[in-house]
Amino acid sequence: MSDIHDFEALTRYAKSFTGLTAEREACLLDVSAQLKPMLGAVTDEFYARLSKIPETAPYLEGRLESLKKSHLAWIESLFTGPFDINCTELMYKVGDIHVKVNLPVEFMAGAMSMINNELISLVINEFSDDKEKMTLVLSSINSITSFSLFVMQQSYQESTVAEELDKFLKISGMSRVLFTNLANAYEN
Amino acid sequence: MRSDMLSSILSDLNGSSADIEASGVISTDGLMMAAELPAGMDEDRVGAMSAAMLSLGDRTSQELARGTLEQVLIKGENGYVVMTHAGSDAVVTVIAKSNAKLGLIFLDIKRAAESIAQLL
Repeated sequence: MSDIHDFEALTRYAKSFTGLTAEREACLLDVSAQLKPMLGAVTDEFYARLSKIPETAPYLEGRLESLKKSHLAWIESLFTGPFDINCTELMYKVGDIHVKVNLPVEFMAGAMSMINNELISLVINEFSDDKEKMTLVLSSINSITSFSLFVMQQSYQESTVAEELDKFLKISGMSRVLFTNLANAYEN
Repeated sequence: MRSDMLSSILSDLNGSSADIEASGVISTDGLMMAAELPAGMDEDRVGAMSAAMLSLGDRTSQELARGTLEQVLIKGENGYVVMTHAGSDAVVTVIAKSNAKLGLIFLDIKRAAESIAQLL
């Protein structure tokens, strides 16, 4: 992915990996009204767990309420859609923000795992009477959280490389134009 | 016109010594302005690499308190590469044989660099 991001391509790529199909997107919207009232508790539990991990706790200091607010907005959006390039672009920016605040890359996968655990419990609780529906809801949630993680990690990787490049250019005194010309000269 | 004049300077430079195999004038952004290179040598790569080496050389010279960079010299098994500023906007790169008389080469390069700087 270059500086000018092709979010349409990234959306397609992420969906192909994570299995976020039209059926699963429809399922997320279908259960939205039922699950949304419970998502605040998911957010609270998520941050309660994060606060107990020594490596993550420092990142929460003084920011817990604002983080919870952003997190709740995001988790609600998983059941709102649309799951289009705007959604991809938003998740991409979230990944970029994580890099800028120096959040270790493993935090994203770890956090998504914690969120999934909470959502799985929620879904089993709500839909255990209907195994077929429960299966669909679980797979849909897995797809959308995986989609979010996929896009964030893509962004994370690109932002990290960009930051490293900036550092190199600053240290070496090389201009960005020179670097681009050098890279182009060795493209083939 | 200027390109022809640059080529003429490089042609004279190459002709000044049998030990000079190739030369080029490159912008500080790594783009070739004029070149007298043997067949098979990629102009784009020579240009970009030369500018990059000089840029790094500038930085190293400052960081290690050697003052303003005058020249970058690379010595390889098969010969030398010498890079010199030609004014503030260009670099002259010369590729010489391993048995080249460097004193004479440096003098010829200096004169060529001055001519190029005046032209640009």
